[in-house]
Amino acid sequence: RGYATATTDSAPKVATFKSAKPTASVTVLLSAGSRHEAKPGVAHVLSNFAFKRNAKHSALGTVRQAELYGGVLSSTLTREHLALTAEFLPGDEAFFIDLLASHISTAQYTPYELQELVYPSVLDEARAVQLSPATRALELAHAVAFRRGLGNSLFADPDAVHAVGIPDIATLHTTGLGGASLSATNLDAAAVAELFAASLPEDAPSLSSTAPVVPVTTYFGGSTRIADFHAGSSAVFLGFGTTTAAAVPALHALAAHISPAPAVKWSAGAGPLAGKLPGGIHAETYVFPYSDGTLFGTLLRGSPAVLKDGAQAVVTALKDAAGGLGKEAAQRAAAKAKFTLLGALESPLEQAQLGERATAQVETVGALDGAAISKVAAELLKSKATFTAVGDVHSLPYADEVGL
Amino acid sequence: MTSPMGFSLSPYIKNTPALARACQSAGKWYAGAMGYRRMGLKYDDLINEEHDDIQRALGRLTPRETYDRSFRFKRAFQASVLHKDLPKEQWIPEEQDVRYLTPHIEDVHKEEAERAKWDTIEVERK
Repeated sequence: RGYATATTDSAPKVATFKSAKPTASVTVLLSAGSRHEAKPGVAHVLSNFAFKRNAKHSALGTVRQAELYGGVLSSTLTREHLALTAEFLPGDEAFFIDLLASHISTAQYTPYELQELVYPSVLDEARAVQLSPATRALELAHAVAFRRGLGNSLFADPDAVHAVGIPDIATLHTTGLGGASLSATNLDAAAVAELFAASLPEDAPSLSSTAPVVPVTTYFGGSTRIADFHAGSSAVFLGFGTTTAAAVPALHALAAHISPAPAVKWSAGAGPLAGKLPGGIHAETYVFPYSDGTLFGTLLRGSPAVLKDGAQAVVTALKDAAGGLGKEAAQRAAAKAKFTLLGALESPLEQAQLGERATAQVETVGALDGAAISKVAAELLKSKATFTAVGDVHSLPYADEVGL
Repeated sequence: MTSPMGFSLSPYIKNTPALARACQSAGKWYAGAMGYRRMGLKYDDLINEEHDDIQRALGRLTPRETYDRSFRFKRAFQASVLHKDLPKEQWIPEEQDVRYLTPHIEDVHKEEAERAKWDTIEVERK
């Protein structure tokens, strides 16, 4: 049973990458991220419904055959895309591309699979998120920064999951086929496109090149606090967002500058936060670049009593960076950011999402100087901050108490 | 392991048009004469449910179907206690006597057969 009436494009375009791994992979990126869902939680349920019964293969048959061939099937949900990836040994592309094509065009989404297989795994993930203050802080940061669209949570709420039904899932699947793309690692583009087109049934829906229309992202900012005395540690996210795409390379460099993660393990590191964070606090800087908006910030996790000092140290480091960045510090930041970006490109998901733009972006980041980074930091500090605190709210600070 | 579905000639009869026509009226008369419709039951309500694969198939009914099935049982038990058939307006008409559970049972059997096949398959690496 097909659900979509999307136009069939002949032989989809395939972006190929080379990697040093001995395995090959094919990724289908559907426009079915959490920003495209009409009801909360649908994208999360859809991502767990990957590779279940379709017209050619049953759920059990898919798993057993993939195991016998020696391959890994995965589905990853991000805010903009649902990535269905098959990693396998280079001789087996015919089978795995057939699997992906069958799922995309003839997935049956049966009610009993939803009840027996999908709901339990969605609930497991949703409950695990409820127990993790760090993940909740990041989800809330997006919600506060972008409200709807990019602000939709990646994870379904455990109490709202049962309101998601088969029609919602089928609708999101159909939406996802628009603007979908194919990418392959260590394979030949023409061969992949041919195998993919050959595996699609005649009248079934296929990938189309028109992306679904989404409302344009606006950055709002703000703050929110959630009490969670169950978890042992607390988490605080402080950051900023922007809708300017030109600022993204500088944001990567700024994140690398502020990040307290040392290049050499067990050392204190060299950066504005080296040795300034109280003991027991873990801090990571994040840059979340999306197609029309970016969220930048630092996530601090640890004991609630000292999180306020940690947050104040981070804000001070940001303000100092806005004042001006020394030549050596800027070089260090640019090099670290370049390395992080290149390292991320090793995963099929990142390759598929960033595509050919990746190399150009890495070069831009590597060529940044201190003035560009400080300028972006100063502009961020002028805008409204995003501040989320999850955990022992009695001890956790407010945004203005840490200098934001 | 035997299943409540058991052995049946009906697929062979249905696939032969001449036999199907010949048996049609006798079959319909017999289904009515069995009397379960007069107690407000459908044929699939009679399937013995104390069996693992029937329980799996029952788990696949929609909530509405499950509720209606429970209602029919409750009503039939009352008729049985009174040793009387239900009033005529509560009998199940022939068009409503649909085999709602059998497709699910067949699916369950197919899936179990597939699992047995995958568990015992012999793999040759060429």
